[in-house]
Amino acid sequence: MMAGRMAYMELRTGWKGLLIFGLLILVVSAGMVQIFPTFRDSLTEELEGANKVSLELPDEQGGNVTLSWESMENATSYMVLEDSRLSMVTAKLKYKGEETSITFEKDFEEKRYYAVTAVLNETSDPLLIGIATTEEGENPFQELLQNPIYKGFTGGRNVNMLEAKGFITLEFFSWWWMLAGMFIAYLSVSVIASDFENKHMDVLLSTPISRRRYLIEKFGAMTVVALLIILVATAGIAGGLTSINALNEFSADVVFLSLIGCLPFLMVIAAVGVFTAVLFQKVRASMGVTFAFVFAEFFLYAFGGFSKSLEWMKTISIFQYWDYASVIIDDFFKAGDFIVLTILALVLLIIGIWVFEKKDIPA
Amino acid sequence: MIEIENLTKMYGNHVGVKDLNLAVRKGEIMGFLGPNGAGKTTTIRSCLALLAKTAGEITIFGLDSHRDAVAIREKTGYLPGEFGLISSVKVSSYLKYLLSLRGYERTEKMMSLAKRLELDLNRKTNELSKGNKLKVGIIQSLMGDPDLIIMDEPTSGLDPLMKQEFYRILREEKKGGKTVFMSSHILADVERVCDRVAIIRKGQVKVMEEIQALQEKTGKVLEVEFGDPFTIDEFKLEGVSEIQQDNGRIVLTIHENLDGVIDAVSKHRILNMNLKTYNLEQLFLKYYAQGDSERGDA
Repeated sequence: MMAGRMAYMELRTGWKGLLIFGLLILVVSAGMVQIFPTFRDSLTEELEGANKVSLELPDEQGGNVTLSWESMENATSYMVLEDSRLSMVTAKLKYKGEETSITFEKDFEEKRYYAVTAVLNETSDPLLIGIATTEEGENPFQELLQNPIYKGFTGGRNVNMLEAKGFITLEFFSWWWMLAGMFIAYLSVSVIASDFENKHMDVLLSTPISRRRYLIEKFGAMTVVALLIILVATAGIAGGLTSINALNEFSADVVFLSLIGCLPFLMVIAAVGVFTAVLFQKVRASMGVTFAFVFAEFFLYAFGGFSKSLEWMKTISIFQYWDYASVIIDDFFKAGDFIVLTILALVLLIIGIWVFEKKDIPA
Repeated sequence: MIEIENLTKMYGNHVGVKDLNLAVRKGEIMGFLGPNGAGKTTTIRSCLALLAKTAGEITIFGLDSHRDAVAIREKTGYLPGEFGLISSVKVSSYLKYLLSLRGYERTEKMMSLAKRLELDLNRKTNELSKGNKLKVGIIQSLMGDPDLIIMDEPTSGLDPLMKQEFYRILREEKKGGKTVFMSSHILADVERVCDRVAIIRKGQVKVMEEIQALQEKTGKVLEVEFGDPFTIDEFKLEGVSEIQQDNGRIVLTIHENLDGVIDAVSKHRILNMNLKTYNLEQLFLKYYAQGDSERGDA
């Protein structure tokens, strides 16, 4: 018997779907990089805006706060909005007039944001001059990154979004896990559960293929698929960076290394898919549980970042063990994490084999 | 070849088969008869280790059916009762793939079977009719030249011409020293091709006998439709074990003295006449009717 025949057949029968998904990844990853120059320019402008506004804070409560800003040509008046959050969703009007500075009494403890806008005429929207915060030395975007969800994406690092590195860390990897993870979850469940559902399992297991070998071959095919999509994404990002002349910032092998870190991450998802498929033997139920697993793991990781007392949650999340930012930002590949996830994937696969060997094949 | 001892398979509280005993000898074609739900498929799938046994032993080629499942399957071909295949590949690619899983490289048998069963190997698997799918199933069970062929309801879905060809193929396999174990609920299938038959009911084998012995035991059945009046007494002859009368029609079960019976029949105007060599159908019905009356719901 030729080893890998089953894995080969999976790839052969599924090549169309793989091709479409591969193209999608290529277009999205390369296209995403194209947005970077525009993003960088607008961010630079906004950050410069922060320098146009200055805030003087008193040491004590009740002292005078002074907010001043650069005047803008053609401005008929200025408006200042105040909020405790950068998003300004609950902002209230603090000032409207022609002056370029205001003084008011400090009557708050927590952080405040002041957005200064220029009113040019009555028909157009006010133009943002800049945002100032009462927290020293922190720009508004660093503030945004303190959000646990964002912290999760950067591994708690301060990421410079003006660099392609930072941009890719936040803008690519924040959705890559979902795209690649869901795809592998879907594939791993369907290649096995559909053999049950379309009654093909009886024929396959009447050949001299053991149930163990059956699962190992299917899992092997998943590993190959995961590797392929990683290579395609690497090509997409590297190609995109080349086209905007930003590849000098970091090389293609850094992209590949940070992506290859997600191989055991994807293999854990595949192993969960294999396990649920042999347990439930139905596509829908197995798919539902596997998807739920991926999202539950993600939320464990995100909630684990909310406070110190919840940090234990992170240790049981697979997201903790795929720190893509460590390669891109810190130039460090965490081999330990790679091994932890690889072992977990193999253990899950062994449990899947054990369950499969015990279960009846439904007629 | 196959020895099943006290096989029990429970599905939760539901009994699949209970203390089932069955033996298939090397080189024979064994029919496995029973109504739907009697436990035929459960028995067959237990032999192939597709189902875990609750109790009992199954030995095939002298090997344990579950422990040595892979070694057994190397020499066994199987046609499942419900045959599903990979979608959207050419039939020839699909069959070659299954051959390769057996480590069997030769495709001559596959080609000749396809020709005999008139199956176009260039078609895509998802374009096949039910009958053609069954042909693919039959071919895949035989193409690896296995010593033991296990088939679950192989003929339900084949047209009469194909059935004839299929029987010829099975007889040739037998001639080549192969053993066939096939289930069916169609008695005619079993009558035409099997050497022995096992009848299963409610998860237990009730009868296991040579077809010929059954033939002798059950006799021949003569069915005559007369164009003039007759009395039953005219046919109470030596060698006639059973007489049924129904609106100018008479059904006689005959063990010997066929001459005498024909003489008696020829005294009347005959509209139609049918002689069946033996009567497995009736045995089957009689057997099950008896079982039902034992149960008290006949």
